[in-house]
Order: sequence, then structure tokens, then C-alpha cells
Amino acid sequence: MKRLNLPKERTFIGPALIWKRVAAFFIDITVINLVVFFPFRKLFRGIMPQDYSFAEAYGILSSTSYSGFLTSVSLVMSVLVIMYFYMMERKMAQTIGKMIMKVYVAGDNSGNNGPKAWQLLARNAVFIPMFPFILLWILDPLFMFFTKTNQRLSEILGKTRVVETYSLEQ
Amino acid sequence: MEKSDFRWGYAIFVLLLLSILGFMAAGILSLFVGVNVNSLGGNVALIPIGGVIVGTDDSGFLFESVTASPDAIELIEKADKNPGIKAIVLEINSPGGSAVASEEIANAVRKTNKTTVAWIREVGASGAYWIASASDHIVANKVSITGSIGVIASYLEFPGLLEDYNVTYRRLVSGKYKDMGSPFKEMTDEEKAIFQQNLDLIRDYFVSEVAKNRNLSKKDVDKVANGLFYLGIQAKELGLVDEVGGKDEVIAYVEKKEGIKAEIVEYKKEKGLLEILGEIFSRQSFFVGRGIGSSLLDKGNLRIET
Repeated sequence: MKRLNLPKERTFIGPALIWKRVAAFFIDITVINLVVFFPFRKLFRGIMPQDYSFAEAYGILSSTSYSGFLTSVSLVMSVLVIMYFYMMERKMAQTIGKMIMKVYVAGDNSGNNGPKAWQLLARNAVFIPMFPFILLWILDPLFMFFTKTNQRLSEILGKTRVVETYSLEQ
Repeated sequence: MEKSDFRWGYAIFVLLLLSILGFMAAGILSLFVGVNVNSLGGNVALIPIGGVIVGTDDSGFLFESVTASPDAIELIEKADKNPGIKAIVLEINSPGGSAVASEEIANAVRKTNKTTVAWIREVGASGAYWIASASDHIVANKVSITGSIGVIASYLEFPGLLEDYNVTYRRLVSGKYKDMGSPFKEMTDEEKAIFQQNLDLIRDYFVSEVAKNRNLSKKDVDKVANGLFYLGIQAKELGLVDEVGGKDEVIAYVEKKEGIKAEIVEYKKEKGLLEILGEIFSRQSFFVGRGIGSSLLDKGNLRIET
């Protein structure tokens, strides 16, 4: 069936709204927690029964007997999280959260090719649970509120941004 | 295929892949950490003391169940540090073993700040009884074998065998007693006396420790420390155990003492994958290199056991 050559919708690409980004992040974290972290629940339930008080839990987590184990587990989990963001953003420039919120990742100078591998790794370095990356846990989101382009610090360093398509007809 | 269908298909593929990787990683981690994480919840730690008590894991007991003192001490200390654990139960099923290893474990039991209970099952004799005596309360079955307070030392002596094969033991020593206990010569009366004296010293220390641990007079313990074993019911009458019973009695004691609802969790040393592989390779190499015949030439075959 032939289609009419109608004029295309007039759109432009701009920085994604912060609330959409936050919502996308929470969707992603929920998905990761339900699916990717599921196998680790049994491990954590074993060392941290639910009826433990804060002091007891703190005592266990800070004991040298478990520190090596907890470091190993958190490193493996962070690798899985980075793999999730990397695989999704590399192939589709979107994660599940971003697909639902209709925002996507773009490289600053990448044109239509999408962000490069190093750029994606740089923007997701925030998930590495080791110094100095843990400093980003506080600094990274703060930058989003104080930059015109709503970029996180790791996005500025990795030269990426999260954008959405705006329609001029609205 | 629609573009959005592909996107969701790919997203599901990524999630499936990562959850499979997650299961594999969680499984591997639980193997490598050497801790049975499934058993770390609960409030009463059950630590098995089974088989021969030895000083190291590689004490040559290839197919025999052993308790290595470093492993047992690690578990006792781990349970002691865990604030969720209110009491430690030692499930003893051991005929004893190395005097040094038994004393090390007994010391670790005594040092804990938690309530400790020794639960003697089939056997809790000699060095195993030494460990049990360090706990706050001893429960044994009516027909458990316990006691056997004494020290034994033995070694093979085969100068006659060498003579039959026309092999001569050429003695070159600097220091009169340097080859004392050598299997290639008969022990002299003087050497026997020295050995006996040392064994008596160890026995005396053993008796003192049991008396101190059980709050008994050394004289009384000395009377029963003749190497004889006692059934649980006899040991109760003598005062070597506190209660005749089993698991129910152990739980009842802990619940009454601590005012808790006891939830027993087993603390045991889980062998990691690397450890299992390392053990297989090292033992294979050991036997290939050493050979069965050379074990007869091992000078250090003297064992002192409690």
C-alpha cells in the first residue's frame, strides 16, 4: 500500500527533563533488583536475618570475617549493573526505564552513531563500589541540578547526555 | 519485526543473560568464600568436632574424618563475634587426637563470652573430653563413650626386620638422645623412662586442666584418669558430665540459660573450589613423590595422643 508523503513532524532534541530521568533511574533500579539481584538474595538472607537490629547488622557487616565476602559480592553485583546499562545503552541508547520514559542517551559528538564504548563505561563508573568512584554517589546527581544540560558529573566526563525529543507542534 | 518489539525482546534477552550470570556468580561466590552462608542465621551455633583431632588439615588422614584445630578455632571465634549467636554447642563425636590440638580448641572454648555446651554423641573421649570439659555444660547420651583421660604414645620399631634383610643401622648422632624414638633401633631403658616421664607430665597437665575446667579437685580427677572410658551414665555419676540426654536437653539448657527460643544453625568449614582442587593435586603429588615404601623410613612417626 502506498503512503502519502506527508510533511514530517517538526521536532527538536533537548536535554531530558529531570523528573523523567529520576523516574527512569528508579524503574531501572527496580528491574535490576527484581531480576539481576534475585540470585544474591539467598546469600544476603543467610548472613543478615531480618530480625537483626541495626547494631547487630552493623556489627556483622563491619566484622573482618565478612568484609572480604561482602566486598566480593558487591563488586560482582556492580559489574552486573554496569553490564545492564552498557549492553542496553550500547545497542539501543536506552535502558528499560528510559524506554518507558521515552528518553535516550546521546554522545556529545557522536552524531547518529550513538555513544562509544568508553563513553558508556565512563557514565556508568558511578556504580563501582570503590574509592574514588564512591565519591560520585553524592557529587554525580548534584551536578544534574546545577547544569543547564542536566548532565551528571560522569556524563560531563564521558561526554554523553540524556536527551528526549520535543515536538514543536505542541 | 517492529522496532519496539525488537527493543523489548533485546531488553528481555539482556535481563535473562544477566540473571543467569547472577546465579552463576552467586554460586561461585558461595564456594569461594569458604563460609556456608545458608547457615549463618539463627541464635545457637552448632560446631561439629568429629573424627580425630589434628593440628593441621594435612595431617595425613586421607580418608578419615578429622577436626583440624585451626578450623575449629576459626568457627568458634566466628560464632563468638557474631552478636546474633547467644550460645555455642559443640557436637562432639571424636575419640580424641593430638594433645596440642585438643588443648588449643579447649582454650578457644574457654575464651568465648557465650554460653558453651558440649553435646557428646557416640564418643567424646580423651582429647575430645578435654575440649568438652572446657564448656559450661556437658550433655552425653546414656551409652556415649567418654572419659579415657590419659596419654598414649606409640611408634613402629623394626630393627629385627632390617636384620632379616641384612640391613645395618649405622648410628651417627651428636647428642646422646638425638635418635631417641628411631624405628631402626630398640629403645633403651633410659629412653623409655624419659618418654614415660614426659607422658606423665602431659597426663598431669591434662588432669589439671579437666579439674580446673570442671571445678573438681585434681585428686578426684586423678583417680579416674587411668585411661578407662566411661559410659555416659557412669560419667554422670562420677561428675564428668552434667546431664544425660541428647539434642532436646541441649536446647532446653540453652533456652533456660539464655531465655531465648533456640534456633540452631550449623557452623562448618565449607571447602572452596580452589581448596578442593588444591587438596586433590597436593595429595596426589604427595603420594607420587613419597611412595608407600618410603613411609617406613619416616623417622618422625612418633605420635603423642590424648
